[in-house]
Order: sequence, then structure tokens, then C-alpha cells
Amino acid sequence: MSSAAIATQALTRRFGELVAVRDINLEVAPGQFFGFLGPNGAGKSTTIKMLTGLLEPSSGSIEILGLDFLKHPVEVKRQIGVVPEGMALFGRLTGSEYLNFVGRMYGLDRETAAQRTADLLEFMQLADQPKKLVTDYSHGMQKKLALAAAVIHGPKILFLDEPFEGVDAVAAGTLKSMLQRMIARGATIFLTSHVLEIVERLCSHVAIIQKGSLVAQGSLEELRAGVEAESMTGTEGRVTGARLTLEEIFLHAVGGARAEQELSWLG
Amino acid sequence: MAGVNGEIRSSVQFQAILRLRWQSFAHSLRTTRGTVELASHVFVTLLLLLGGTAGAAMLGLAAYSFVVEDKVEWVAFLLWSVFLFWQLFPIMGSVFTETVDLTGLLRFPLSYRSYFLVRLAYGALDPSTMLGTCWLTGIAIGIGLASPRLFLWAATVLAAFALVNIALMQTFLAWVERWLAQRRAREIFSIFFFLLLIGLQLLGPLAGRFSGSVGPEVKVLGSRFSPIQRVLPPGAAAVGIDGAARGNAAAFVAATCLLLLYGAGALALMGIRVRKQYTGENLSEATTGPALSRAQLVTPGWKLYFLPAPVVAVLEKELRYLGRSAPMLLTLVTPVVMLAVFGLGPARNGAFLQRSPDLSYPVGVGYALILLTNLVYNNFGADGGGVQFFFASPVRFRTVVFAKNLAHVAILLGEMLILWISVSLMFHPPSLLMTVTSFAAVLFAAPINLAAGNLLSLYSPKRVDFGTFGRQRASQVTVLLSLLIQGVVIACCVATFVVARQLERPGLAILIFLGLAAPSIAFYVLSLRHADTVAQARREILVAELCRV
Repeated sequence: MSSAAIATQALTRRFGELVAVRDINLEVAPGQFFGFLGPNGAGKSTTIKMLTGLLEPSSGSIEILGLDFLKHPVEVKRQIGVVPEGMALFGRLTGSEYLNFVGRMYGLDRETAAQRTADLLEFMQLADQPKKLVTDYSHGMQKKLALAAAVIHGPKILFLDEPFEGVDAVAAGTLKSMLQRMIARGATIFLTSHVLEIVERLCSHVAIIQKGSLVAQGSLEELRAGVEAESMTGTEGRVTGARLTLEEIFLHAVGGARAEQELSWLG
Repeated sequence: MAGVNGEIRSSVQFQAILRLRWQSFAHSLRTTRGTVELASHVFVTLLLLLGGTAGAAMLGLAAYSFVVEDKVEWVAFLLWSVFLFWQLFPIMGSVFTETVDLTGLLRFPLSYRSYFLVRLAYGALDPSTMLGTCWLTGIAIGIGLASPRLFLWAATVLAAFALVNIALMQTFLAWVERWLAQRRAREIFSIFFFLLLIGLQLLGPLAGRFSGSVGPEVKVLGSRFSPIQRVLPPGAAAVGIDGAARGNAAAFVAATCLLLLYGAGALALMGIRVRKQYTGENLSEATTGPALSRAQLVTPGWKLYFLPAPVVAVLEKELRYLGRSAPMLLTLVTPVVMLAVFGLGPARNGAFLQRSPDLSYPVGVGYALILLTNLVYNNFGADGGGVQFFFASPVRFRTVVFAKNLAHVAILLGEMLILWISVSLMFHPPSLLMTVTSFAAVLFAAPINLAAGNLLSLYSPKRVDFGTFGRQRASQVTVLLSLLIQGVVIACCVATFVVARQLERPGLAILIFLGLAAPSIAFYVLSLRHADTVAQARREILVAELCRV
């Protein structure tokens, strides 16, 4: 049994002939703010779906808080919170009805669910339109509501798939402060995001996936040191004295070269 | 810029839209489910054609006899029934019809005119239009056979009448959708529509009931209504055909022009809605009411001592969803309406419930059960992306399914109570024996339906929108299989009643139903036990299908 909060071994997912995720070995320690990065279609969402029970792995194992997910799905789900790609909202409930519903589904008693619902609606600044149905919320409001629902039961691990996508700067600030508070209280957060600046600011550890395989994993410092070491040996030919940004590490890991072809018709 | 024309031609855009539809259709055939769905569509279309042809034959025969008997204006009766069906079926049977959300096209540089035409064309692809067109064709043929020289004239008027129906039906739907976007309007409209429906449905049976003994008041009423109906679309069409039959060109031209005017008016009214949609209207219930206190902001969820919290949470959610769906609520009130129609019809002409009022309660309950299948057989359709939550939450899937079934049973029991009261008011209170027999029948029929519904919900899910007319239809495969299962269940129930009556032992039906209920409940329990396994095995398809936007 691993002491890691999240541990996978040879995690693989196939869709017919296509191997979307191949032999992934992830290890996320408790209390880590973990960023999971990769280009579009690299397998991030597939991985997070497998880690949260939304998708069955083709092979490999997943341990969450030392429990085998496939053997103890209910016990594991009790301790995690998820904001999946589609946000998993029920459009024809109001925000408070939805949070109440989620709280009850996670076993909170009526009073606690109601109290936490009120707290979260106020914290997320969603309390001013109590009769509005979720389907009428803006994208950013839905994201905030989905995040509120993911934390209402006080999970030990939070899985977030693109939590900052479509969220304005004010709301993003609110979300970030909430996530940082959770980390300070010992929770583990696993997030995917395309906004590398946010990941760089929030995450202590990062893994990068490319075409279904992990190409880098470790703390930001470890990854930075790795890239710099390669540059020193001259294999990559990078000449710069400045501290590497996450974007540079990412591009190095995924071999991202900008398209050279010119789209002349764009003017 | 090179390659871009200064003017975007509508025909090019129409071709692109057609191509898009074709490609979507072709890609859907890549999966087994898509292929089965196509087969079901073909089957349903054939069924509709059959219904259309049979109806056309009957209406044609009636039209033939009216013309032969020189009562051409009586064609109005036929046209009124076609008209009412055409306009009301898309709303009453919203679960059987499907409209496509075309607002996604608005991101393209589509002109208002093009958007309007595309909407009109899509709206015309509807079962009621298909059946209505078949029936009008039948009437035209009937008239043509009786009087060949009248055929072209009648066909012209009926074509105009068909156009009015197509335009009016879409206008009606567009405005109903607008009104029902607001909760208050929804409540008022539901009551109004319910009363209107009862009124309209009762017209025919009441006319039939009093036709043998027409009193002077009825004649006065009839003579007053006749001029009014003559200027309404069905009456105007009949006047046009009658005018042509009598060589009265002025009447023919006036009636045809009136019909075209109706069509234009309907299109203009529809245009107001489409224009709003085109400019980006969002029908939402968003209200900015006064700020609420913390206690007012959140009220704790329901509490039912005898049920676990997750079950109560799902039950509450399901009933809230239903309460916010005007189309589903309207569907659920139809058993009472149908009871009134069948019950108050002319007894000597075979109004079944008039002759056997004792059967009105079980018949009503049976009808309620049939309509409930709209909910039961696509359990997760209205949840959309929310279904992911059920997979991510620490609650077993069988618990969720069970809670949803509890909601269905609660609705059914509520309907049974309303029907009991309705039957008591319309006829007399159902006897204790009949009440118990009906409950025993439900004990047999409901678990089978719930079990089959749960399995089909997992095997053949389809995202539906409870808030919009025409977007509640389950997958075609589900619709067909549910009809098949209902057919078998109803046949068993009818056979049981018949056997008990033949043997003159009414109590026997209770025993038979209870006997049948045992395997039915066992089947339900078995299906519930397997719900977790099936759901886990099908989760990718469920999520992919229900999260689709």
C-alpha cells in the first residue's frame, strides 16, 4: 500500500486501436498542489476521468489515499471532490438546491448541507440570484458552482479539470484563494490547466503528458534543473542565463515547435 | 481577401447546412446504436405512413360521401379534426415529436431570411405534419373520386390549408415556448391550456351526445357558431371547396385568399419570435429579486425518516425537475382529459366508458402508466451532464436508480388519486373491488415497466430538455421497445379482466394480478441489483451521450 495520496501503476486506456493513455505511473504526495499538463488531446482528461471513476482503465491500477479505486470505489469517492470536464451540473435546479443535493449525496445531514450551501454561495458570490436556475448561469458562475459542489463535503483530494477555463479574473482570484486555503489545511489538489502561468504560481509539482505517455514528472525545481542540465550538455542548444519558465519547460518536454508555415491569406 | 465573395449566397449556406446534417447522419451510422436507431426510425416512419394511409382512407371515404350527398360544406368536420390534431399533437405529444435547436447556426453569417426559412423547413419535418398532409391528401382524393372536376380546386384549397397548418403550428409552438419560459406564465398557461383542451375535446362528444335530440337552444348555438367557424381556417377551407362545387368562384377565391392571409399572419407572428431568437434572445427565468437573508437563501432539503438521505436527495431533485417542466406536466394531465373524452361520448355510438363506467378507473390508470413511460424509459435523459455526478459520487448507482423509480411511483400514485377523484366526479366512485383490482394490476405492470425502463435508460440513453417543447423524446429504439413492452403488459391486463368477467368472478382478477406481480417484482429487484454493473459497463456511453451539447 502506497503512502501517496494518488498513485497509479501502468495506467492505460485504449479506445479501440487508439491508446489514449499509456503506462502512466503517477505519484502525488499528500498536501501537494499537483499540475497535470499536456497539449490538446494528450490524454489529460482521460487520465483525470480514470482517477475519479468516470472512466474504466483498460489496465493498470489506481490507488487513492492507499485504497485501490477499483476495489473500493465508494470509500474512495467519499474522500475526493471532482470538477469534471462537463462540470456535472443539474441545469434545472437552482444553485442552492444543487449544492444541497450534492451535500446530501455525500452524506451530510440536512442542517450541515444547508449551512455549507449558504457559506459556499456567499463565498463564491452566487447568492444574489437565488431563484436563478443553473442552466441560466454564465459559464464562469457554473464553474464556481461546480467547484463549490466539489468541496462541500470537505474532500481530502480535489480533482479539477480546467477549473480556470472561462472564469474572469475576479472569480479566478476567489478560486485560487480557496484552493490555497485547502492546501494549507492539508488537502491534495490535482488539476489540469492550459493556463501555465496559473499552474506555475499555484502548483508545487507537475507532470507533463504527451501523446498518452508521461514525459516529465517532479517538482518545478526538479524539472527546471533537468532541462537546464540538458541545455548544458548542448543537446538542446538553449542559450540563456534566465530562470526557465514553466512554459519553456513545457515546450521543451513536448517538443513544441511553432508552425513555420505562413498563412499568407490572413493578411 | 482572395477567395471570399463579397456577397454570401443563401443557397450555398443551405447546401452547407444540408451537408452538415447528412454528415452527422452518416457519422451516426458508425456505431451499432446509430444503425439500430436508423432502423427504428424507418420502422416508425412506416408506422406513421400506415396510420396516415388508414386515416387518409377513412377521411377520403367521408369526404367522398359528403360530396356525393351534396353536403360539401360538411367537409368542415373533417378539416376541423385534422386542424386540431395538427396544432395540438406537437404540444400534447411533445415526447413523441422532436425539434432541433437551430440557434447554433446563428454564429454564422446567416441572414434573418435564411434562418427563418431553415427554421420553417426543420419545423415542417414533424409527425403531425406528415400525418396531416397524408389525411388532407386522402380528403382531396375522396373529393376527386366523387367529383373529378372538383379535384384541382379542392387540392388548391387544401394545399393552402396545409400551409396554414404548418405555419400556425410552428407559430403556436414558438409562442408557447416563450410564454412558458417564465414560471408564473407557465402556471397560468397550464391551467388555461388544460381547460381549453377539455373544452375542445368535449366539443365532439357533446355534439354526438345531443345530435339525436337537438333542442332549440342547441340549434341556436349551432347557428351562431357556424358563421364563426366559416371564417376560421378549417371552415374557410370547406367554404372554398363548397364554393368551387357550386361554381361560386367568388367564394372559392375569397376562402383561398383568407387561408393565405391566415398563413401570412401566422408567419408574421412567428417572425416576431424568430427575429428575437435571431438577435440573441435568451429565454431565461433569471430574476433579480430582493436580497434574501441567509436563512431564506437556503432551505434544508426534504426529510423522510424512512428513507436514506441520498434517496431523498434524488427523489427531491426528480420531483423539482418535473415541477419545472411544463411539457411533462401537460403530458401527465392527459389521462384525465382522455377519460373525459371517452367517458362523455355518445353512449349509443359506442362510447366505451359510458357503457362500462366501472372500467373507467382501470382504463385511466392504464393510460397514466403508458404516459409515465416517457419518464421511466429515459431515466437520465434530463440529467444531461449531471449524470457524471452520479458516477463521481459515493452513492451506488442502484440507489440513484431506485430513488428515481420512487419518484415515478410517487407520480403514478398521485395520478391514480387524481383519476379516482375524476372518475368519482364524472361517473361514480370506483367500487372497492375495482380500486383494489387496479392497484393489483399496477403491482404487476409498474415493476416490469420500471425494470425495463431502467435497463433501456442505461443501454439507450438520450439527452432531453424538459423545459422545451419537442425536446423530450427518448431514442427511437427506446420508444419502440417501450411500446412493445406496454403492448404485452396491456394485453395481459385486458386478458385478465376479460377472463374474470367471463367467469363472473371479478375477484379472480386480483388474484391473477397478484400472481403476475410476483415475477414482475422479482424482475425489478434483479434489474436493480444489476444496475451498478450495467451502469459501470455503460458509463462511457452514458456520459458521452448525455454530456453532448
